Amino acid sequence: MQPVDKAHTLKMPWSRGWRLVCAAVLMVVVSSRASAAEPPLRVGMELAYPPFEMTDAQGKPAGVSVRIAKALGEHLGRPVMIENIAFDGLIPALKTRKIDCIISSMTATPERARSIAFSDPYLKTGLAILAAANTKVDSIDDLNQPGRTIAVKEGTTAHQFAAREIRRGRVLVLDRETAAVMEVVQQKADAFLYDPLSIYQHHQRHPDTTRALLAPFREESWAVGLRRGDDTLLQDVNAFLRAYRAAGGFERLGEEFFSEEKAYFEERGIPFLF
Amino acid sequence: MTGTQAKRVAVHTAVVAVYAGLIWLAAARVDYAWNWEGVWEYRGMFVKGWLATVAISLAALVGSCLIGVLGAICLQSRRVVLEAVVRVYVELIRGTPLLVQLLIGFYLVATAVGLENRYVAGALILALFSGAYMVEIFRGGLAAIPRGQHDAAAAIGLSPWQSFWLVVLPQAARIVLPPVAGQLASLIKDSSLLSVIAISEFTLAAQEVNSFTYSSLESYLPLAAGYLMLTLPLSWIAGMLERRFHFDA
Repeated sequence: MQPVDKAHTLKMPWSRGWRLVCAAVLMVVVSSRASAAEPPLRVGMELAYPPFEMTDAQGKPAGVSVRIAKALGEHLGRPVMIENIAFDGLIPALKTRKIDCIISSMTATPERARSIAFSDPYLKTGLAILAAANTKVDSIDDLNQPGRTIAVKEGTTAHQFAAREIRRGRVLVLDRETAAVMEVVQQKADAFLYDPLSIYQHHQRHPDTTRALLAPFREESWAVGLRRGDDTLLQDVNAFLRAYRAAGGFERLGEEFFSEEKAYFEERGIPFLF
Repeated sequence: MTGTQAKRVAVHTAVVAVYAGLIWLAAARVDYAWNWEGVWEYRGMFVKGWLATVAISLAALVGSCLIGVLGAICLQSRRVVLEAVVRVYVELIRGTPLLVQLLIGFYLVATAVGLENRYVAGALILALFSGAYMVEIFRGGLAAIPRGQHDAAAAIGLSPWQSFWLVVLPQAARIVLPPVAGQLASLIKDSSLLSVIAISEFTLAAQEVNSFTYSSLESYLPLAAGYLMLTLPLSWIAGMLERRFHFDA
């Protein structure tokens, strides 16, 4: 049997094992010190909202909001880390400093503005209706009738709207967009309230079982969410949004992700996003 | 109350107070703007949700006990078909997550058979879920009754049904009481998952209040308290029944 080289075990401080460990620790320390100069910008979003927040086939974050986040990181000179957090956990995560900003297609509402600060709006949208094919409704007032069932996604502005305004219809609260759409497709719910672009896409997927009422019955705009009191970041984000818009960044995103939808909406005179 | 019992109660109360004190300390240290008024405004939602949870849990409780007993009997049956049906059911249910069972059970199976009412469907799916675990618990309980008991019952002229009902079941009930109580407590907490098919139960109510008022901790602490209000009495009743059934051999 060959004699074991005692120095190959971790017993002696000068052994090969220890030298490897020290080299690794040094590398980690050096690399972390190098990037300690620019702390990463942690952006929170829920990666369940194509094409704005989603994952690509390899499971990495992708979509319009991811592109905006990366452009923001470049503008600020900070590396960007995308944190995938459920939508109604985004504001608590921001308030407890787990993330630095929210870029998750979040509408700037007065209620949310009491908890967090919002940047200037970067996108115009609203609430529209995905109706079940057999249901004869043409407007939100037709849905606010006894016997009608409306599906909403938990935590969204549609949910808050329904909780306040829908007094006579029944409201089904689901935690997933896909579950809400399934309710409509299976004719268990009369309608799903969400943004016009997503409703258009869901209708394309289920043309026989749904109807899309795309003209928004309520207009909203999306903004970047920031902590109250984080004024420097707020000003930086607003400056970035102005610069990005002026350089045609949003135009390019619209062309790349939504050329078909843009044409469809503009044909019908419905306001489109950017 | 005897001296030792009083001492026991006192020490238990002291430990609860210590835990509560630790949570209070943690809450005081966290930099969090407490907003109890917002949650108080929505107390109606909490109560409605709690009642829905109680109703569904109760229905699923009864259902799963029935399934458990019947399933355990079938597993011991000589008829292969009965044994196979129950065995496949148990392995399938125990091997898949409740979330998957809820989504497939409601959106596929219930729709296919025309069951529209989501509360009924939810309670049924929960009963079937818990029932699979109950079958195994009851099977263990029945298997623990020595063969001698069956033989003795037959020897004194009891029919198979009488020997089961009068001799075997009472003894098995004593054995299965602790795991059954645990499974029922799990059931009450598992009912929180029914929110994925839009059943307005207690956890969904707390989540909704959280969304409306942006107060996570102020919504979730009452949620924990509400579930304790259901599981603690269960523990207490189970303990009482255990002491009642206990007899020195």
